[in-house]
Amino acid sequence: MSIFNRILKPIRKSEKLSIGIPLSPAMFWIMFFFLIPLGILVIYSFWDMVGTRLIPVWDFHNYVDVFTRAGGMYTGLLAKSLGMSALVTVGSIALAYPIAYFVSLRIEKYKYTWLILLMGPYFVSWVILVFGWRLVIGYSGLLNQVIMSLGLTSEPMSWMWNNWWTVVFLLIMGWAPWLVFPMFVSLEKIDKSLLEAAADLGANPIKRFLKITLPLSSPGLLVATFFVLIPVLGEFVTPVLAGGSQGVMYGNAIDASFTSMMAWPFGSALSIFLMIISLTVATMLIRMISLEKLMESL
Amino acid sequence: MLRYITAKGLNFYFFLFIAVIYLPLILLVVFSFNDSILVGFPWRGFTLRWWEQFLQDPSALSVVKNSFIVASITAVVSTALGLLAAFVLVRRFFRGKNLITYSILLPWFLPAIVTGIGILIFLRSVLGIELSLFTIMIGHILFSLPACTLILMARLIGFDRSLEEAARDLGANEFTTFRRITIPLVMPGIFVALFIGFTISLEDVVIAHFLAGADVTIPIFVFGQLRRWSGLPMVMAISAFMIMIMGVILSISWILGKRT
Repeated sequence: MSIFNRILKPIRKSEKLSIGIPLSPAMFWIMFFFLIPLGILVIYSFWDMVGTRLIPVWDFHNYVDVFTRAGGMYTGLLAKSLGMSALVTVGSIALAYPIAYFVSLRIEKYKYTWLILLMGPYFVSWVILVFGWRLVIGYSGLLNQVIMSLGLTSEPMSWMWNNWWTVVFLLIMGWAPWLVFPMFVSLEKIDKSLLEAAADLGANPIKRFLKITLPLSSPGLLVATFFVLIPVLGEFVTPVLAGGSQGVMYGNAIDASFTSMMAWPFGSALSIFLMIISLTVATMLIRMISLEKLMESL
Repeated sequence: MLRYITAKGLNFYFFLFIAVIYLPLILLVVFSFNDSILVGFPWRGFTLRWWEQFLQDPSALSVVKNSFIVASITAVVSTALGLLAAFVLVRRFFRGKNLITYSILLPWFLPAIVTGIGILIFLRSVLGIELSLFTIMIGHILFSLPACTLILMARLIGFDRSLEEAARDLGANEFTTFRRITIPLVMPGIFVALFIGFTISLEDVVIAHFLAGADVTIPIFVFGQLRRWSGLPMVMAISAFMIMIMGVILSISWILGKRT
């Protein structure tokens, strides 16, 4: 105890030390393994690479390449990925919102248990879930089996797998269970007497939903958007497993330039574009959400 | 009438949703016992072949071991770092506090692919470190730190400080107060943080894809096999195993959560 006290006493006395020391491990981690690596990424985007050697040339040629290389393929991919991400965000929120609504306003008992059950699939690794979905909508999956046994087609339908809509569909199904939670949290906070008051004043259920429930649950919608949109913008795993040649996303181009092409500077420039877009979106969303709301939804 | 239809419709949709999101997992577990080298339908009879193959394959087992080592260390380290930071961020007032809170959240502002690549090129070309399980952990801790910190901050904000003051008034010293009052009250938050850190690490594909060396984790192993279309029946057994493990972990946290 005396050693314990001897070390702690000067720390406790100094205002700066008692705040700085407990914060330093976390800040060190962010600094050293996040901010500095991103700085390196920015630096490399102005460099060149010959073989495996990086050469500091300090120009914008990688950025120009992003627009011009392969006939504008990369900007096309970026636009396509943005579109797919928007679809996934809207789709998964649309699927999850009624579920959150149901758990919050219709279920009275065991809400907590239902929520855990709903989030269950989210805790399984994404590659495993995609593998599972292949058994549902893949070539030799359940859906094809059912359709064939009903005599609707004689051959399995192959269009359901290896396409861009497969990627969008899988991402929607994968994210929806998790998004139930933040929206549930904000629905729970709505004062139910507001709904009763509106009903007494003659508002019909649709009007009550549009005028009260939906606006008051908008923080949950924003948190959900934040949770799904940012990761999906950089998605590359699902296209590899279920996208075929049609489902390639911007993330695949980034992945390829680091893992198979050895084009680090070009890949860094590609990443910088993604970084700027996601930082802008995330900052906008966070400003609308506030930290407290984000904390509550965990 | 409208009300009746929406109520019935919602009810139906709710149970349909649960059925659909669990369908892939159930099929995966069931078909890991299918006696066929092809993945999927038709069902050709029950076999334990693929499970035996998995449980007798030293490399598959070492992958499982790797995953659990990485996940455990990630959970403990990120909870510890998060706890230290959360205490200061909730209980002290100082300039730049918001800035620090947001900077801990920063990893969530970017898709993991950007961060993964950033760490990769930093470790490889600047520090010259070889990729290993340790480098995976570095990335996983970075990504679970925001979650752990926020969870613990939320727990500490809802903490009744008068309990600590009462203990001090009754003559307990600082250490005893911390041990007997603070820790037990924060414990549920610590459990949640450990659980979240563990699962973030266990399920991650993106970070580990860039930071794994020769030793890989389960998702990376599964990803690689799926890409190459090789040994898929055994991969189904591993996947089924992981689904069961997650089921057990979720049930335990459900029971623990119910008590508190």
